[in-house]
Amino acid sequence: MIYGIPLREIIAFALMGLGLVFLIGSAIGMLRLPDFYSRVHASGNSETLGTALVFLGLAVYNGFNDASFKIIVIFLFVFLGNPIGSHILSKAAYKTGHPVWTKKSAKEVEAFSKRAGEEEN
Amino acid sequence: MTNSSVLRDKSIVGSPLVHLVCMAVLLFAFWMLLSGNTEVKFVTYGILTSLIATWVCYPLLLVENTEGSRKYFIFGIHPFKLISYFFWLLWQLVLANLDVLKATVSPNLRINPCVVRFRYMADNPMAKVILANSITLTPGTVTMNVTDDGVFEVHALTDGAAEGLEDPSGMPAKVAWLLGQEFTFEKMGRDY
Repeated sequence: MIYGIPLREIIAFALMGLGLVFLIGSAIGMLRLPDFYSRVHASGNSETLGTALVFLGLAVYNGFNDASFKIIVIFLFVFLGNPIGSHILSKAAYKTGHPVWTKKSAKEVEAFSKRAGEEEN
Repeated sequence: MTNSSVLRDKSIVGSPLVHLVCMAVLLFAFWMLLSGNTEVKFVTYGILTSLIATWVCYPLLLVENTEGSRKYFIFGIHPFKLISYFFWLLWQLVLANLDVLKATVSPNLRINPCVVRFRYMADNPMAKVILANSITLTPGTVTMNVTDDGVFEVHALTDGAAEGLEDPSGMPAKVAWLLGQEFTFEKMGRDY
């Protein structure tokens, strides 16, 4: 509190709000992007910065103590672990021959996913 | 004992004793952070477990280069370089994230996905690991496959992301600087 203004809380809420913007952006990407690989971008990666900002906001809100250090450590593990998850997902899809959506191959990919859906049913 | 031979192993880059001491101190600091208890009993437990964990794990944390002539410690990275690289990566993350956010939210979906191939080699195998992980961490690019001879197959979401990947003075040079290594970089084209 400086001159009656809760400065720390304002910074914390600003960081968390910014994090929410990125998380909502990744949710929109998840719905709008055309194929599996580009959805991995939206779900796996854009989320990292959103999570990081929310954790940073929590650490600022909590002040300078051991709990905020633990939050920072959690954030570091997310930072290391999240790309491994995205990589394994896309590697598995690539090795099993899932086609990559590009502007040229859009129709083939749609036919592929339609066929895969029929096989499932 | 395997560990006394590790101490005398000349093929390890850097000093094994320094690695062991740093790892034990870091593990003990982590223990103290999580326990938050300064009673003699818990501190003793912490010292013992961190020493034993270091003793057991150190030989498992060594990776050989492709010729098998040298061994590198996985965490053998200069701490100041690591911190500098971390903040540089965070900044890249923000820039790339804004780029992808603009592309996905724009009404006509300005994306142009492609598969970028390039070859990246350095003596330390950790260079490939850190580069692949950093590429995946940056939004707009996901590493799909890395082969043993250093061919990266990366899925890029936008044109800007693909161009950033093919620039050897960007992330590849930064990773080589982080590990103090020479590197070779070679473009292998894109698949649209």
